Amino acid sequence: MSKPRNKKSISRRKFIEGTGAALVAAAAVPTLDAQTPAAAKASGGGTSAVPRSTIRLKVNGAMHNIEVEDRWTLVEVLRDHLKLTGTKIGCDRGECGACTVHVDGNAVYSCSQLAVWMDGKSIQTVEGLEKNGKLDPLQQAFIDFDAPQCGFCTSGQLMAAKAVLNKNPRPTREEVRAGMAGNICRCSNYNLYVDATLAAAGVSAGMGSKTIIVDDAGATRVAPLKTLGRATPRIDTRLRVSGKASYTGDVSLPGMLYARVLRSPHPHAKIRKIDTSRAADLPGVKAIVTHENCNYVWGAGSIAGGRQYVEEMKKITKQRRYAFNNPVRYAGEPVAAVAAVDRHTAEEALQLISVDYEVLPFVLDQEEALKPGAPQIWPEGNISLDIRNEAKPMREARGNVEQGLRESDRVFESRYSTTFVHNAQMEPRGAVAQWEGDKLTIYTPTGGIANCRTDMARDLGIPEENVRVICQYMGGNFGNKNQNQDSDLITATLAKLAGAPVKLEYTRKEDFIGMHGRWPTTQYYKVGVKKDGTLHALEMRGFSGMGPYRKNSGSIGGIQLYKVPHVQYVVTPVYTNKTTGANFRGPEFPQGFFGAQSMMDEVAYQMGMDPVEFLVKNMTRKAEDEHEYTNYTLEECFRRGAEAFDWKKRWKAKPGSDTGSVKRGSGVAFLAFRAGLGRSAAWMDVDSQGRYKVHVGVTDVGGGAKTTMGLIAAEALGVPLSQVEVIWGDTSRCPYSVGESGSRTTIMTGYAVIQAARDLQKMIAEKGLPKGNDLLTAKADTNPSVPGGKVRNSFAAHFVEVEVDTAVGHVKVLKYVAVHDSGRIMNPLSATGQIKGAVIMGIGMALHEELHYDPRSGQALTAGYYGQRVATHMDAPDVEVIFIESDDGYGPFGAKSIGEAGKLPAVAAIGNAIFNATGKRMRDLPIRRQRLVEVRA
Amino acid sequence: MRSFSNANPRDMQQAAKLAQQARMEGRNAAFAGGGSDMLGLIKERIATPDVLVHLKGIQGANKVETKGGATVIGGQISLSDLSHNQVILKRYAVLAEAAGSVATPQIRNAGTLAGNVCQRPWCWYFRNGFPCFKAGGSQCFSFNGENQFHAIFGGGPSFIVHPSDTAVALMALDAKFRIVGPSGQRTLSAADFFTLPKQNAAKENALAYDEVLASVELPAAAAGQRSSYHKVLDRDAWTHAVVSTAVVLDMNGDTCRSARIVLGGVAPIPWRVPEAEKVLTGQRVTPELAARAAETALAGAQPLAKNAYKIPLTKEIVQRTVSAVARA
Ligand SMILES: Cc1cc2nc3c(=O)[nH]c(=O)nc-3n(C[C@H](O)[C@H](O)[C@H](O)COP(=O)(O)OP(=O)(O)OC[C@H]3O[C@@H](n4cnc5c(N)ncnc54)[C@H](O)[C@@H]3O)c2cc1C
Ligand code: SF4
Ligand code: FES
Ligand code: FES
Repeated sequence: MSKPRNKKSISRRKFIEGTGAALVAAAAVPTLDAQTPAAAKASGGGTSAVPRSTIRLKVNGAMHNIEVEDRWTLVEVLRDHLKLTGTKIGCDRGECGACTVHVDGNAVYSCSQLAVWMDGKSIQTVEGLEKNGKLDPLQQAFIDFDAPQCGFCTSGQLMAAKAVLNKNPRPTREEVRAGMAGNICRCSNYNLYVDATLAAAGVSAGMGSKTIIVDDAGATRVAPLKTLGRATPRIDTRLRVSGKASYTGDVSLPGMLYARVLRSPHPHAKIRKIDTSRAADLPGVKAIVTHENCNYVWGAGSIAGGRQYVEEMKKITKQRRYAFNNPVRYAGEPVAAVAAVDRHTAEEALQLISVDYEVLPFVLDQEEALKPGAPQIWPEGNISLDIRNEAKPMREARGNVEQGLRESDRVFESRYSTTFVHNAQMEPRGAVAQWEGDKLTIYTPTGGIANCRTDMARDLGIPEENVRVICQYMGGNFGNKNQNQDSDLITATLAKLAGAPVKLEYTRKEDFIGMHGRWPTTQYYKVGVKKDGTLHALEMRGFSGMGPYRKNSGSIGGIQLYKVPHVQYVVTPVYTNKTTGANFRGPEFPQGFFGAQSMMDEVAYQMGMDPVEFLVKNMTRKAEDEHEYTNYTLEECFRRGAEAFDWKKRWKAKPGSDTGSVKRGSGVAFLAFRAGLGRSAAWMDVDSQGRYKVHVGVTDVGGGAKTTMGLIAAEALGVPLSQVEVIWGDTSRCPYSVGESGSRTTIMTGYAVIQAARDLQKMIAEKGLPKGNDLLTAKADTNPSVPGGKVRNSFAAHFVEVEVDTAVGHVKVLKYVAVHDSGRIMNPLSATGQIKGAVIMGIGMALHEELHYDPRSGQALTAGYYGQRVATHMDAPDVEVIFIESDDGYGPFGAKSIGEAGKLPAVAAIGNAIFNATGKRMRDLPIRRQRLVEVRA
Repeated sequence: MRSFSNANPRDMQQAAKLAQQARMEGRNAAFAGGGSDMLGLIKERIATPDVLVHLKGIQGANKVETKGGATVIGGQISLSDLSHNQVILKRYAVLAEAAGSVATPQIRNAGTLAGNVCQRPWCWYFRNGFPCFKAGGSQCFSFNGENQFHAIFGGGPSFIVHPSDTAVALMALDAKFRIVGPSGQRTLSAADFFTLPKQNAAKENALAYDEVLASVELPAAAAGQRSSYHKVLDRDAWTHAVVSTAVVLDMNGDTCRSARIVLGGVAPIPWRVPEAEKVLTGQRVTPELAARAAETALAGAQPLAKNAYKIPLTKEIVQRTVSAVARA
């Protein structure tokens, strides 16, 4: 924790992207400035003072003579100037691979090459793969295998795979992995990218690991359907594999300005004064915003108790978050933003803004923040206010836990902790805003265009009809791209002030430090067990570090998975001066499941039981031990999984019993996860030719929602998919949808699609098809619920075998079997990718990922793919998926949730397998090499 | 990005002169090979050149030539060419392996050997713009801060570890570094090329601001020379070495005639361990002897608060690599 500091004026340089060092700026900065005599000249800002060169560039066979600024990167020229936007920017630092192109036949990162260096060279981009309108076999294979999820990494993956095949036409699986090691896919669809590449090479025809679909053989078995349930390539994958899909950053409007954001280097500080006059004087600067002239409340940024969808709640929230806040409460919080004629001028302008901060003491750790004397982040204290504006922990209880613990034959206690990890979706957040009179059009990567629109209108204080939100394609979500973002408010305000369209693109680092991630937790468990291994009492005390704003509940999920009479759950969501913790793929579960399921694994071993046996004995049979499930297949998941995995053979009855330093072991974890029904809407129309259009407020964050909606419509109408056009991603053409979060698009919006189809069919039956140019339209607004207090859940059991080289702390996943009941599998192709990707993401969280903070300056040190150690192709094992299909009679044709499910048990399963292999219980995430070496010592 | 002008010199000496000239005009110059490190530094405003002198376009600066027994490698060779070069693979496997272990295929295609050797530190603080010794400041943040990836040998006042994979191999091969300046050239041994923070806290090597690393020369490989590079990463690709080791043995049957062992990721320079080499010299290399050499290699390590794990980790890989090379 730092001491409060006196006023100090810090060099311009220190403000950029929060890279400044809060502690020592005064002492050392002059030296830095002395090194940069030219900085003061600020290089003219988009004027003729900037050195330029003329180059000859061959791009996809076509020659270009272009004048470039010497500082322009190749990707900048391709995207901004040649309008070849298929090549993406995921990091701009050589740490993601999205920008991969070929230069004279070699794959390189176009973000890490200057355009001037390319003079006389031949460049091939994704747009050059297609020959005479015919896709390259590799592109076709990517489509066939559904390799792209969000598609943002896809052009990079294609160019990397192409380079592999050019050099080595018949590579092995390992060679493909190694050749594509420089291409992150945050959707983590690594298995399918490799499968597709091998298939294109003719080396193999199928998936490297199996996907099996079986039915649950019980009362809820699925009846076969015509269209749904067949492996169907997505309706828009062709655009994703040819670089034609238009993401927010690809939007370019006439007269568009570029914006950049200045961020606080301090984790906690009061802004005394901001002087923007020098920036304003820079030629090319068109608008500047700070907390003084852009003071909109960002409603979705901080809603008490995470109830961001409840409008009433938004009104009563006491602790408001603005687009710009004063005081700033985390390092990286926006302080000012500039719109200028080009991106470099905007960046130069940031250097010219000086901010006078009064640095305040800060606190990073959630338990530290509750100690007496800890710096106070809000006047009401550091316990986050709940929906009643009360500073109270979340509590749930059943039975009497103290009595339960007394009655138990044995009681076990442990502490677990999880760290802050960032969503790191491939496409950084950004926006393009344009005003026409008092009407705003905003292009922004949001999985929830409807909520985003409501939020924007409310925050800006304009009628909802005046806001149009467009998101045609988006590069991943994982929970931090629903609703609106401060960047949307900032971009809209700049556009208004400048009287011109404005584009803002967060850098990768800004995305890490300025967008929310998964909240860190500490978890204390007490578990009481009877002699026969029956759970009797379960107590959990937890602390969640929410950052300075409460964007989600901060709860810690896990203990509800067990059948136990006495339970007590007390979780305190705490404010800290880290960046905000909120939705990230199964918001409260991967971290909670890690704690709870590691704890139960401990108990099983202590009781001398096989963990599978222990879990089957003690796992949930009813939701909260009270409510019937609409169907229940958890036992079946365990049975099938144990069999397919060969659990009895792989699991070590004596943990760590392999001799030598290389040890194998196996672990298990499971899942019961919400699959509830809820409100959504769909419109459907038909023309005189019997062609259908279904309008749905989805954008397809990567899960395949557009295609699924088309499939559901086709099935409900009884027509082939080709007769249905899906209209998506535009609030002017689509009705309300809850948004792609919470794994509920298929269930909720899918339900509305069926209703619209039925209504439309009825209308056709009554009136016949329309004549001429007329349309018949049905509008469905559905809000179904499960009757009789029953609960819908998805279920899963995961089995994993690892090999731990204990002497060097290395973990290798040897086998992974994930058995899921997600109801009916609407499209086996994309469903498989959802599970595989989620599992690999979970493995990354278990072993590597962390946004690591510097305790002394309060700054994040590992922002980015390199720093957070996001899984690469080399870290991605082949994952086997088994679906147990069921139809509980609710939801669209029995579909349940799937998008988040695969990640939830994966983290715990890995931890448990490491214990089985090594005999060491790893209670803190991530279980990185260092920790494994340390516990052995 | 901050503005700068790009310069395409004809040869190395002209490159050096451009840097000198810029300085005389009160401007900053910097060199770029593949730029995979340099552009990141510029984008973060950690490096602020007014003139960027691009070396990769210089004709003939990327060749591998054998002269007598020695092999001269042009500094502008790409890391992928280096890792696939037949001469290097055959005689100096350790260098091919080290080059092949760098980052990703794309970075190896762009990145040069010279750029790899001369890349700036990857310490979290330096890369996040903290004004520490390496940025011309007067303190080290890692010493009392987050130092899990920092030095256990040779640290102070900066505690970086040298980031280059190829540097470790070059030191193990006893390479010579040919340096070109505005008015001539000089050649330094690896031991003199890499410099400790004690000598100059802001730098990692002996190059003056207006000198470039033009080529490296590897002495003839002994008939029984075998070598290997072992790198430990924090995920299975695309990170710098947590620790690494380059082992070069001259073997006669199972007896070691001479040995060079260098550790990476443990010190501000590639860290040669002569005492450990002596343990092997003239001996039959048994697993026990390899373990003893590894023990010796790590003797005297001075860990910081959070990096003691590097000691057992490095011991283990030294032992494994020595055994593997001796067995090969
Ligand atoms: C995500 C990521 C991961 C990385 N992982 C690794 C890794 O695992 N291992 C590893 O070793 N490196 C790694 N690097 C660092 C680096 O990019 C590569 O080492 C690359 O080889 C550098 O070569 P370059 O030619 O691109 O260097 P450049 O970027 O051109 O130059 C690097 C530095 O050396 C100086 N320089 C370049 N050439 C000369 C010369 N001839 N004379 C004097 N000075 C010169 C430059 O001024 C600059 O300071 C990584 C980089 C990134 C971005
Ligand atoms: S180790 Fe070196 S680079 Fe890192 S903070 Fe200390 S002085 Fe700076
Ligand atoms: S954008 Fe170039 S590697 Fe990420
Ligand atoms: S498909 Fe790879 S990042 Fe989304």
